[in-house]
Amino acid sequence: MNAGQTPQTPPAVLTIVDPSRATLVLRGTLNIYALGAVWSPIRAAQNAWLANSASTHKILEVDAAQIESLDGAGIGFLIDVQEAQLVAKAGFVMPNLAARYQPLLKQFEPITSLFPQPQVVHVQSFIVTTGKAAYSLWQDTVQLITFAGHVLADLVWSLRHPRQVRWGDFINAAVQAGLAALPIVGLVAFLIGVILSFQSAIGMQKFGAVTFVGPLVALGVFRELGPLITAILLAGRSSAAFAAEIGTMTVNSEVDALVSGGLSPVRFLVIPRVLAGILVAPILTLYADIVAIFASAVTMTAYGVPFINFYNGTLTMVATEDILSGLLKSLLFGTVVSSVGCLRGMQTGNGAAAVGISATSAVVSSIVLIVLVDGVFAYISYRTGF
Amino acid sequence: MLALDAKNLTIGYGTRVLLQNLNFSVNFGEIFIILGGSGCGKSSLLKNLFGLYRPMGGDVLIEGQDITHAYGAELQHIMTSFGVMYQEGALFGSMNLLNNVKLFMEEYTSLEDAQMDLLARCKLDLVGLLPFETYMPSEISGGMQKRAAIARAMALDPKILFLDEPSAGLDPITSADLDRTILDLSRNLGITFVIVSHELASIYSIADRVIMLDGVTKSIIAEGDPKLLRDQSTDPRVHQFFNRIMSKEAV
Repeated sequence: MNAGQTPQTPPAVLTIVDPSRATLVLRGTLNIYALGAVWSPIRAAQNAWLANSASTHKILEVDAAQIESLDGAGIGFLIDVQEAQLVAKAGFVMPNLAARYQPLLKQFEPITSLFPQPQVVHVQSFIVTTGKAAYSLWQDTVQLITFAGHVLADLVWSLRHPRQVRWGDFINAAVQAGLAALPIVGLVAFLIGVILSFQSAIGMQKFGAVTFVGPLVALGVFRELGPLITAILLAGRSSAAFAAEIGTMTVNSEVDALVSGGLSPVRFLVIPRVLAGILVAPILTLYADIVAIFASAVTMTAYGVPFINFYNGTLTMVATEDILSGLLKSLLFGTVVSSVGCLRGMQTGNGAAAVGISATSAVVSSIVLIVLVDGVFAYISYRTGF
Repeated sequence: MLALDAKNLTIGYGTRVLLQNLNFSVNFGEIFIILGGSGCGKSSLLKNLFGLYRPMGGDVLIEGQDITHAYGAELQHIMTSFGVMYQEGALFGSMNLLNNVKLFMEEYTSLEDAQMDLLARCKLDLVGLLPFETYMPSEISGGMQKRAAIARAMALDPKILFLDEPSAGLDPITSADLDRTILDLSRNLGITFVIVSHELASIYSIADRVIMLDGVTKSIIAEGDPKLLRDQSTDPRVHQFFNRIMSKEAV
């Protein structure tokens, strides 16, 4: 008997003879597929009979003489029926089970161990839950600061010993995070440029100020949107990739092999990737800025604003400090995104699921930190006028 | 009827032939071991036997059904008739041991959750892992993972179990425990075992019959009782393998 097939005659029939006596006749093949149709109805009928208080001395007689084949599932069924009798303090007899099946049944004695008591779930109070979450956040922050310290120290060390940096890994990471990201960064920047210009122009038209849309979009892109879009795309692509790559190495004990070989995993695995992040983030941001402003120029041309007006307006509105401010911010974003990806990879637990958790965590943490850094940068810009 | 029958089996990857024209069979209830040196194609042969890979030629009959030419529902039907334990256990890391064992029951049977729980606990009990039912695979040792993988392979009470190097990398005590488990399952449940191994101690203690593969001639070079092969074989390769004699190059 195999999946989906059921026997013509039921392999088990329960008969309630009277309130004190019932019989269970077993026949044919009792395997996992045959039992699917009869297990639940028989147990339900048995429970109903056991719950009947008309008799206090109940006994279930199992007739196993007609069993042709019995496997692990059949034994499991018999154990389930027997356990119900034991719990109800009722009798259970099975005088004619073939001798070849006896050792199978005996293996599971005492059968009560197969029926663990349901665990009492203690619901934690709001205060305890909040406290645990706060402690976990604190620990994560401490780890982040410690890791940042390690990365900074090893970055300084790498600058003093450039020949010791694994430039092959650096180039590989830079190509993956930078060159391979050009199409998606370009596409998103172009669409953002078009959408932003188009939406702004609809409103500005009412004030006869369509000419100012292009320069304003350019200013916004250079100072804010360019670095932000690029950093979020880097978080989604590269931070997750770094976390998954280093996470898999952690799971496979490759990181342990580095440590036991006297090598610093931060210098070996993290520094090349962080350097790649520091390099590619400003380049990608500048690329995104140019594409978004080009898209804006194209859109505004469609609105009847001559390109020379767009160009002159942008030159008037955007100062060199605006461009440098955006690029400096992108440099910080690149450092954060690549470092967090590596940190989450190093923190990976055991198993394939842990790698997935690390990759997800890398993206979420990166985006949160990008917004945080952006906020701090905005405040500093406001105070210093940069 | 035979549990497994391989006829003129040729296996390989792409155009590269690993083993050719193999003929052997396995009887029901037998513990049958495929052995040979590293890289001779033992694990590849096993994967061809249970239908994971298609052989380059020949047929494999499992309980009389040709798995090499089965597709779709027919192949799935044959695959529910046996269980497989992979070399590293291959337990699902996101599930605890109980749920690992239950997975195939959930897919192939109409039992209720409590009933599947009970059956899964029975399987874990058989391999001595009942107290660890809530543990995740990452929380138990390599030997325990292998035993849990055997429990999962037995989920649907198959008549045949394929095990890929169950003793590899285990300490002698854990390895002996696993051998005991295999012998118990064979004797008490009548399960047929087709095992890939080159652990001599394990082979001597559990095997009813072995075949020895040779990567150079791409063929079976010995078949029979491992102790008899050790003591009586005149083939120098077989004698060297069973008596752990160093190669000439090493000498």
